[in-house]
Amino acid sequence: MDCKQASSLMHEYFDDDLTHEQVVELKHHLQGCSVCSARFQELEQTEMVLFSTIRHKALSAPDELVDAIMSKIPNQRRQQAWVGWIKKHPALTAAAVFLFVMVFSSLSLWKSDEQLVVKVADLDQVIINGDTVTVPEGSTIAGNLTVENGKAEIYGDVQGNLTVIDGSYYQASTAHISGEIKSIDQALDWIWYRITNTFTEVAYR
Amino acid sequence: MVVNHFDTRLVKLARKGDQGAFAELVDLYKDKIFHLAYRMLSNRHEAEDIVQETFLRVYKNWNRYDEKQKFSTWIYRIATNLCIDRLRKRKPNYYLDAEMNDQDGLDGYSLIPGDERTPESEYLLSETQQMIHQAIEGLPAKYKSVIILRYLQEMSLQEIGEILDMPVTTVKTRVHRGREFLRKKLEPKMS
Repeated sequence: MDCKQASSLMHEYFDDDLTHEQVVELKHHLQGCSVCSARFQELEQTEMVLFSTIRHKALSAPDELVDAIMSKIPNQRRQQAWVGWIKKHPALTAAAVFLFVMVFSSLSLWKSDEQLVVKVADLDQVIINGDTVTVPEGSTIAGNLTVENGKAEIYGDVQGNLTVIDGSYYQASTAHISGEIKSIDQALDWIWYRITNTFTEVAYR
Repeated sequence: MVVNHFDTRLVKLARKGDQGAFAELVDLYKDKIFHLAYRMLSNRHEAEDIVQETFLRVYKNWNRYDEKQKFSTWIYRIATNLCIDRLRKRKPNYYLDAEMNDQDGLDGYSLIPGDERTPESEYLLSETQQMIHQAIEGLPAKYKSVIILRYLQEMSLQEIGEILDMPVTTVKTRVHRGREFLRKKLEPKMS
């Protein structure tokens, strides 16, 4: 073993990383080498001094520090209950928010159109008078007729569905409606109609 | 380990927002962090700042704390990084030994403001302690943190590696070099 090797072994010794054989080897070298032996003593002393004095408990932080730190920490107790609940149930929260938004947007849509709306294949086959939509006798509508916020009076032919939303309809004896007749009054029905309509519209596009 | 169990429970409570538990953690660790910071920076005020900042960071970053990790490792990492940052900012970006051209006889050393209150004046430290303190103060920063963690906090090389985020082999080399450095500094005074 040369002195360089011995030096690195010395450090490993202080790190507690040597095997028993290595310690014996090192000891053997130190006994025969006065330079390394002196060096070992110095290191040992350094090590001892460091361990014994550096952890002297003379240094401690002032107790006011605890208060100073605690005062800088935001007091979030009050929020905690519901914030904690939200954090624990992300899926439920998302569902609730979704439902909330859906209901409110639908309701606002439902309330917003108070105007008479007529959807029909050929507009010249109907007569609109105020909020009354009339299909006169002898005229034929080749498709669906939808009336929103108004009355529908049918004397002629409708070769499709008749849908009345938030209104009423009158069907004369001369009338002939090939498709279904739907009358929608309530918000829920209306929403359902909207949704199914959107889907069928999307599907047929 | 009893202490560790206690720590883990406190940490769990504190993470949930229990202020009492957090205060207890502060009380448990403030001295250790202060001691570390004081040895790193040799300035009492800065060390107090570090203690405050460390705990505020702990509080803000609870969501980043991995419960599999030891809390002490985490908090020491925060504190050492803060200290190293301070040391880095303090370091002037000119060479200390280079003489200034326009001012005769002045070198970089004379431009560094001295810490008027010598750290020792505030504490009753024995001569040996002062000697060691000065020797450690003279260590280059990268050895300083390793040596302080090793001797002051009695941490294993493994733990130091985790705190400083470096391989154990690097920690070892630094401990060895630091130890050599201190030996050379302390040797003439001890004999």
